[in-house]
Amino acid sequence: MTATVTSPAARGGRRPTKKSLVPWLFLAPGLLLALVFKFWPMAKGAWLSFYDVRPFLGDKWTGLDNYTRVLTDHRFQDAIGHTLVLGIGQSLGAIVLGFVLALLLEGQARSLKIVRTAVFLPAVTATAVVGELWRLMYYPTSDGLINSGLDFLGLGPVQFLDNPDLALWSTMAMGIWIWAPYNMVIIMAGLAGVDRSLYEAAAMDGVSLWQRLRHVTLPAIRPAVGIVLTLAAIRGLRVFTEVYVLTGGGPAGSTEVWMTRAYTLGFTRNDIGGASAASVVLLCVTLLLTVTVNYFRTRGDAR
Amino acid sequence: MGARRRSRRLAAGLVATGLVFAAAACSGGSESVGGDPNALEVWTRSNPDDAATYDRVFAAFTKKTGIRVDYQPVVNFDQQLQTRASTKDLPDVMINDTALMGSYQSQGLLKPITPDSIAGHDQITAKSWSSTVGIDGKHYGIPYSRQAQTLMIRTDWLRKLGLEAPTTWQEMLAVAKAFATRDPDGDGRADTYGMAVPGSAQNGYAAWWSSSFLWQGGAKIVEPAGGGRYKPAMDSAAAVNTVTWMKDHLFCGDNAVTQPGALTAVTGTATNFRDGNAGMYLTGPYNITTFDQTLGKDTYEVVPAPAGPAGGDVLAEGENVYFGAKTGKAKQEQALAAFLISPEGQRIAMTGENQPVVRIPVNSTLDAATVRDDPRWSVVQKAYEDASQQFPNAVDFAPIKQDTADALNSIFTYCGGDVRSQLKELNETLAGDLKDQDLLK
Repeated sequence: MTATVTSPAARGGRRPTKKSLVPWLFLAPGLLLALVFKFWPMAKGAWLSFYDVRPFLGDKWTGLDNYTRVLTDHRFQDAIGHTLVLGIGQSLGAIVLGFVLALLLEGQARSLKIVRTAVFLPAVTATAVVGELWRLMYYPTSDGLINSGLDFLGLGPVQFLDNPDLALWSTMAMGIWIWAPYNMVIIMAGLAGVDRSLYEAAAMDGVSLWQRLRHVTLPAIRPAVGIVLTLAAIRGLRVFTEVYVLTGGGPAGSTEVWMTRAYTLGFTRNDIGGASAASVVLLCVTLLLTVTVNYFRTRGDAR
Repeated sequence: MGARRRSRRLAAGLVATGLVFAAAACSGGSESVGGDPNALEVWTRSNPDDAATYDRVFAAFTKKTGIRVDYQPVVNFDQQLQTRASTKDLPDVMINDTALMGSYQSQGLLKPITPDSIAGHDQITAKSWSSTVGIDGKHYGIPYSRQAQTLMIRTDWLRKLGLEAPTTWQEMLAVAKAFATRDPDGDGRADTYGMAVPGSAQNGYAAWWSSSFLWQGGAKIVEPAGGGRYKPAMDSAAAVNTVTWMKDHLFCGDNAVTQPGALTAVTGTATNFRDGNAGMYLTGPYNITTFDQTLGKDTYEVVPAPAGPAGGDVLAEGENVYFGAKTGKAKQEQALAAFLISPEGQRIAMTGENQPVVRIPVNSTLDAATVRDDPRWSVVQKAYEDASQQFPNAVDFAPIKQDTADALNSIFTYCGGDVRSQLKELNETLAGDLKDQDLLK
C-alpha cells in the first residue's frame, strides 16, 4: 500500500495521480479499521450462515438449511412480530416526543441550555445502565418509583415487566425515553434554520398554532425529519440491549425480539449458523427499509 | 512547498504501514505456553475471587511437580473457547460445569480419559465417575467438585412466627404464606415474601430452578431409552401434576409466596433472600459465603429441600476437569488432574479466604463439614450423596434446558393456560432437540 503511494505517479490519462491517491491515504486508517472490525466480520457472518458451524471439527455446508429453519421457527416468527411493534412504536414515539421537546426547548436562554443538557442525558448514558434504572423504576410493588406514584393516586401496583401483555409496551416506553432526546437535537438544528420572517408573516395573517406548525414549521424541517426517519429505519429493527437488560425476552417470550432470539440461538444453543442466518436476514430487511425511506425522502425533496 | 508536501506524504505512509503491522500483530496473538513441554495452559470459568483460590492450588502443584501452569480465569468461557477452537489450538486443561460435557464432546473438543491413568482415581466414588461417561461409553472428564441444592431459610423469622423448617411441599407452602403475610421482620409493613425464585427463561434459569421440583414430583425432562438413546418425558402424568402444582401454588396462587418479578428474575437479580426480604431460597452452597457476610451466620440455616410426592431429590451439579483434544501433553495433564483430585489439592481449593472452588470434594476420603469445620456443609454433602440427580451428562443439554425453561416460564406466566397441552407441545420440541443430536429413540 505504501509502495503504491510513494512511487512516482504517472501524469495524465486515467492512471491514478498522486493527487487522487492522497485522500485515500488519509482515509486509509478509518477504512482499515472498518475493514478489520466491520466488513470482514460481516462477510464472515454471511459466509457462516450457510454452514453447520463446528469450530473444531470443521464447518459443514448445509446450503439454505439455516435460513429455512430460522424462518419457519414459530418463536422466531413471534419475535419478528414483537420487533416490528417495538421498532415502529419506539421510532415514531421517539420522533413525536423529540419534536415536542425540540419545540419546547428551542431558544437561547441559559435556563433552556441547562434543561436541554438534562434532557439529552439519556442519549449519552449506557443503555445497560438505563435498563437497570428502569428496572428499579418499574419495580412491581409500591417500593418502585412509578408504582409508589400510582399508589399515591390510589392505583396499582402495576406489573410493568411481569405482565406479558404490558412488558412490550413498558420496554417501548424506555426506548422512547432513550431515543427522543437524540431526535430532539437533530430536529432542533432543523428548527434553527427556519426563516423567522415566515413566522412573522404567519402571525400577521392570524393563523392558529396548529396551522403554523402544519404549514410553516413542518415543511421547513423536512430534511431534519428525513434524517431522523432514516436513522430510525436503520436502528429500529436491531433493538437488542434495551430488551436484553430489561426483560431478557420474557416473561413467556412476550418481549423476545429478532436480535435476542438470534443471541439465544448463537450463545445459549451453540447454533452459530442459525444465528448468522437470522442476522443476515435482519441486515437485508434493514437495508431494504433504509433504501425505501431514502427513496421517498429524495422523491419528496425533488418535488 | 514541494518538500513539505513530500514529508506529509511520507508521514501518512508511515501511519498506514504502522496500522497494517498493528492489525497483523493483533491477529497473531495468544502465543503462550504452546512450545514449552513442561507447562500447561489451564482455563477455568472464574471471577477474580474464585481465581485467587485457583492460583493457590496451581502454585502448590508447580511447587510439588515442577510443571508450570499458565492459568487463565475466563468469565465468558464458552465464547472464548469457541474462538480458540476455530484456531484448532485448545487449552491443555479446562475446569468447567459438568452439564457442558455433552456439548463439548459433540464438538470434538475433549480427549477421552481412562480413569486408571489418573493416580488416585479409586478415591472418587463410582457415582461421581459415572457422571463423566459420554455418549460412546468413554469418560470425557474427571470429577473435580460437586454440589447439590439445599434450602436456605431464615431461622429468626421461623422463631418469631413459631414455625419449624419445612420438610414437605405442603409445609413449605404454609411457611411461605406465613412469611408473606405475618410480618416476620416486624416492621409493620407487608414487604416480605415467601421465597426467592430465579424464574426467567434467560439462560435456562426456569428449568434449572424447577428441576429439583420435577424430580421430587417423580418427573424427568428426558430419560434414557436404551442403546445410548433418549426420549423426552415432559408429557408424563408426574410432570403434568408437578408443573400444575408449581403453577397453582407458587406463581398463580396467593400473592407474595414468591417475590414480585420472579418470572423475569435471573440469579443475579433474584437477590431477595440476600437482601433480607424473602425467607427461603432453594439454591447451591456457593451462596453460603455470601449469605454469611450479608445476612449473618446466625440468621439463617441450611436444610434439605422439602420433599415432594416422589421424594426429596435435588439438582446436583459441579465441575469436571477436561483435557483439550490434540494437545499432546497427556503426562503433564494427568499429573495435574491427579493433584487436583488428591486430598491435598481438594483441601486447598475448599479453604482459604476467597470463594472455595471445590464445594463437595469428589475425593471420598474428605468430608466437607470436617475440612471446613462447618456442620452446614454436611447437609449439602448428604443431599449430594443420598438424594440428588444430575442433568443427563452425555447429551448436549443446553438446547433442552433452554426449551424447557421457555415452556415453564410461559406456563407459569399465563395462569389461564392448559398445562397438559403446553407440556405436550414442549415434549415435541424436546423430541426435535434430541433428533438434532441423533439421540432420539
